[in-house]
Amino acid sequence: MIEYQEATKRYGAGPPALDSLSLEVPAGETCVLVGPSGGGKTTALKMVNRLVEPTSGRVLIDGNDVAASDPVELRRGIGYVIQQVGLFPHLDVAANVATVPRLLGWERGRIDARVDELLDLVGLDPAIYRHRRPDELSGGQRQRVGVARALAADPPILLMDEPFGAVDPVTRARLQDEFLRLQQHLRRTVVLVTHDIDEALRLGDHLAVLAEGGRLEQSGTPADVLARPATPFVADFVGAGRTLRRLDLLSATDALTTDSPAGEGPTVASDATLADVMAALLSTDAPAVRVAGNSSVLGVVTLESIRAALRDGDGRQDPGASP
Amino acid sequence: MALLLAVPPAVAIGVAAARRPRLAGLAIGSAGVIFTIPSLALFALLVGPLGLGAAPAVSALALYSVLPVLRNTVVGLQEVPPDAIEAARGMGMTERQALWRVRLPLALPVVVGGVRVAAVTAVGMATVAALVAAGGLGDSIFAGLRAGDETQVLAATAVIAALALVVDGALAAVERNFRRGRQVKLPSLRSAR
Repeated sequence: MIEYQEATKRYGAGPPALDSLSLEVPAGETCVLVGPSGGGKTTALKMVNRLVEPTSGRVLIDGNDVAASDPVELRRGIGYVIQQVGLFPHLDVAANVATVPRLLGWERGRIDARVDELLDLVGLDPAIYRHRRPDELSGGQRQRVGVARALAADPPILLMDEPFGAVDPVTRARLQDEFLRLQQHLRRTVVLVTHDIDEALRLGDHLAVLAEGGRLEQSGTPADVLARPATPFVADFVGAGRTLRRLDLLSATDALTTDSPAGEGPTVASDATLADVMAALLSTDAPAVRVAGNSSVLGVVTLESIRAALRDGDGRQDPGASP
Repeated sequence: MALLLAVPPAVAIGVAAARRPRLAGLAIGSAGVIFTIPSLALFALLVGPLGLGAAPAVSALALYSVLPVLRNTVVGLQEVPPDAIEAARGMGMTERQALWRVRLPLALPVVVGGVRVAAVTAVGMATVAALVAAGGLGDSIFAGLRAGDETQVLAATAVIAALALVVDGALAAVERNFRRGRQVKLPSLRSAR
């Protein structure tokens, strides 16, 4: 677990880069620090591996203040994916991925095996890519190598600074999918920085929205942040499309109703999102969509029940909930 | 020979100076002052303490070689992409490991560029070293001049020029080799100053 305790960073006079951030990132979860530039996201991220030292406050990993640890040792135990990837241009892919294992003094055979394993994991065929140079790779491939390099020594914590920032939207979406798939079975504690709210909603188990001046505006699950923006800043940052985005995060089963209007209608699986249901409703004339479970129909979803489900989320709004 | 003497200290000073702008200014400044002393004068000055022969010649050439190598070391290290240095630190390299494994290898093409300039300069200046009895091809030129034998002068000059070109070409090949596979285009020698 990573814990920020009133962590503050000031550079000279003026507003702080990060203003008294208190935040917990439970083990195995992905916490996304999101906000416009100048929000102190990267500053907060770099406090974890001591590339930035807090002016005041502390950062704890599993209860231990990072300031008490040796920075070199600390960093070797934390995976780091930096903005613009930062591959070493003079080394081939294998040597880049092997960076931390070499620093740790692993044996040659173990390193080679690990490199191949990781390249497979990020979807690059080792036989083809092992000896390529970074400038012989596409942007997406470089990002993958960057992720493989960060995972090389199997660190429990992964810091990712705009990890999918330098690629086109199609590649970005694919890398995001791959990240979700990887994280599903690796279950690392991830702190990820992005300025893209869609990316944050997609990847995060937990969001921390930071505003200019390094203020934490809201922290919560993506569904929370969408349903109940804590401040006008968050509402504005999340944007006008927030209702539509919420449909992506709610399951069809959240809006099930039994008062089924008779008649034919399309059927969706029980793991469909409300966005899928909406699409089905809009593309047919049917007043309701059936939700199918494993063997039986669980119920139906209507426009009215979707409205109710969205209201339900808003209804729990608590003005005192803002951090 | 002179290069062997000059390159290690020049690179070492360059490494030390790369992150200290004032030291860099001082070191490049003083090396620059030496570089501007006419070669004949420097040879003459060194004959005093070192006597005639190879010693003053090699020393003078070594002194001349410091500037281009030093300057290119500083520039080469400063031009290393900051994200590579950031990655090196972030993954737990010590300062020394980052220097040997990342910064110096990435600066190497530029350093070799400096060595190239130094080498070509040294070949030309070595000619004048004949005047301090260091021997070499310069002897042939001076002998030809004294005898009024234009053919000998031209032949020796041609050989020296050819030697300079060969040295330059060889080091250029080395430089290209180091530079291959780099995504960052480094400044050429001419813009290095």
